[in-house]
Amino acid sequence: MADSPEAIQKSLRLYKLIGAVLFAGTVITVMVATIPWLDFGEHGFDTADMVLGLLIASVKATLVAAIFMHLNHEKRMIYWLFGFGILAAFFLVALIALAKWDPIHYNGFGDGVPGSEKDARW
Amino acid sequence: MEIPYIVTPRKDTGLFNSKIAIWLFLASEVMLFGGFFSAYIFLRLGADYPWPERTLPVLPGLINTFVLIFSSVTVVFAWASLKMRQWGKFQIYMAITVFCSLVFMVLKGIEYNVKFHHQAVRLKDYTVVEGHLGYKVKDGVKVEHGKQPTEDQLAKDAKGRKIEENLVNFEAAEFSFSTLRHHKPWVESIMARAADQKASITLAADLELKTSPEKTVSFKAGSPLTVELLDSVKEAHLAARENNGAVRTDNLREQWEKAHAANPGKRDWEIADQVAVDTAAIAGQLMPEQPSVIFKVEPPTVFSFKPRDVKEAAASADLRDGTNLKGKLVDSPMVFHYVDAIDFRHLVMEAERKGIDPKVAIENSWLLKESPELKKIWEKQQVALAQLTKELAAKGKEPTAKDKYRIGWQELAYYSVTKIEDVKITPGKYAMPKAKENFKEEFFGPDYKVREKVPHPDGKHFGAFPHLTVPREQVQFASKFAPAWNTYYAIYFTMTGLHGLHVVGGALVLAYYLFCGKRMYLSNPEWLANRVEVGGLFWHFVDLVWIFLFPILYLM
Repeated sequence: MADSPEAIQKSLRLYKLIGAVLFAGTVITVMVATIPWLDFGEHGFDTADMVLGLLIASVKATLVAAIFMHLNHEKRMIYWLFGFGILAAFFLVALIALAKWDPIHYNGFGDGVPGSEKDARW
Repeated sequence: MEIPYIVTPRKDTGLFNSKIAIWLFLASEVMLFGGFFSAYIFLRLGADYPWPERTLPVLPGLINTFVLIFSSVTVVFAWASLKMRQWGKFQIYMAITVFCSLVFMVLKGIEYNVKFHHQAVRLKDYTVVEGHLGYKVKDGVKVEHGKQPTEDQLAKDAKGRKIEENLVNFEAAEFSFSTLRHHKPWVESIMARAADQKASITLAADLELKTSPEKTVSFKAGSPLTVELLDSVKEAHLAARENNGAVRTDNLREQWEKAHAANPGKRDWEIADQVAVDTAAIAGQLMPEQPSVIFKVEPPTVFSFKPRDVKEAAASADLRDGTNLKGKLVDSPMVFHYVDAIDFRHLVMEAERKGIDPKVAIENSWLLKESPELKKIWEKQQVALAQLTKELAAKGKEPTAKDKYRIGWQELAYYSVTKIEDVKITPGKYAMPKAKENFKEEFFGPDYKVREKVPHPDGKHFGAFPHLTVPREQVQFASKFAPAWNTYYAIYFTMTGLHGLHVVGGALVLAYYLFCGKRMYLSNPEWLANRVEVGGLFWHFVDLVWIFLFPILYLM
């Protein structure tokens, strides 16, 4: 981490730049979602829009974590701590896959259930 | 006691202690929000209704995103200023950060407030109508047709608030109050209403109760309803329950003793089937219990209740406090002063499940049959949809369900003031036609006061948003846009509410450094810099969570 006053003074420009990138990323996300002629994939919201939106959000989040939170040059222990948290969070999200594999109680994902293709549009 | 390693790093970890602590905390926070994001995905994939994608106004969320990003920059500048020993600059940057948190919360408050005042109703046929309800006028006041009631003409509740035209009106001939659960303010308002209507509420039959085995209290049929009377009955009922419980327990103990004497050496579970309270033996010792008290209303009078407080049927109604009313349900419509959106997506979803043609289902919906104005709007929407379908077909695409079956407020405002032959989409926009909205409207939603004066093409009518009276029997479910409305709003309020609490918590910590940090700075500036770094890390995390919340809740 930049710790000396000189190094910190130098990194101020980088912080401003990252701030500008975050602003730009937000504007792009909104434009892609709201301006019809910038709409990717099918007309209206669809998987392509979702992937694009989450991709931009992930890039923005990575910049915040790497630069503002100094994760780009942290001590190894921090990586272990935060990495574990992220892994656990992914596990929580992945838990919903268990519902997908349950053939009896859940048909919301629309595979193989009669009439579910229609439902999938909603 | 001095806490070690808060300025200098530990040799083994290379970090000062509070930094390890904040990262441990942030790791747990990632899991907390991860759980909620998981819940969001689960609710969205499993929703049995059309998920309201892109339903929130984008502008408030966008401004809040800018505010948080800006504050993330200023907080890191505040930390850098301390590292460079520039106290004045630190104060400026930290003050901006705290100010940003205030702006964020104010905007969030406005956004919540708009939602809590916006009404939605799902009709029995699954049509969804959104808008704002009218307000009840005082009894006897006549408002000229087409005019708004003045503030003085409006009825107010006990707290002086206006009453929405969304009441369940029930003509009661009999009340049965729950002895234990009756809600005193409701009893008082029922008495006040009866007095106002010159009706009497009197005890239906003689009551004779005991407050102890020796003491009896009695109430004659025809005694007027009072809170004191209900309190006396409650007291007697509780005394009876206490006495009866003790009598039953004593008797049961006796039965156990007898059973053990008759079956020496046996365990409790082996003789349990032989033990029971001897009801005949204790009958004389029991005191009468009175779980409810019945009162007659003469003449039968109409009482009004908020829908959330009552479960009504044609001849009977139950209040939330256990009070039961006998009589008849009378006209209890929901009156929309402004309908600002209609949505047939859920209706179509249900129709398709039943194999019914969506168009036929919509044409036969209660809404289009009962409201000629909304039917005209629907017809105009069909004209625009045909144009959009043609335009999209040239690109190999087709309209979305939202294009086809939802008429939002901007579309409604456009169709209301446009002749059917003039309806047209803007070429190249690939969107349904909409009324232009100003900055204020993008933030708060439609400006009803201005738009109610917009003339219709016939020159006789005014107003962009139709009125609608929905009979109670057509209402399947009604709510404001609150967590109760659907799982989308439930998870929206949960996630943004939790995030908002983080903003408040973070702002308090940063404000503490700003206003109380001078002494620490003078004694050991590096210590304060470390603390600000830790607070800043939390603040960046709050920003990081919002970076995902914004697109997921507002744009997807």
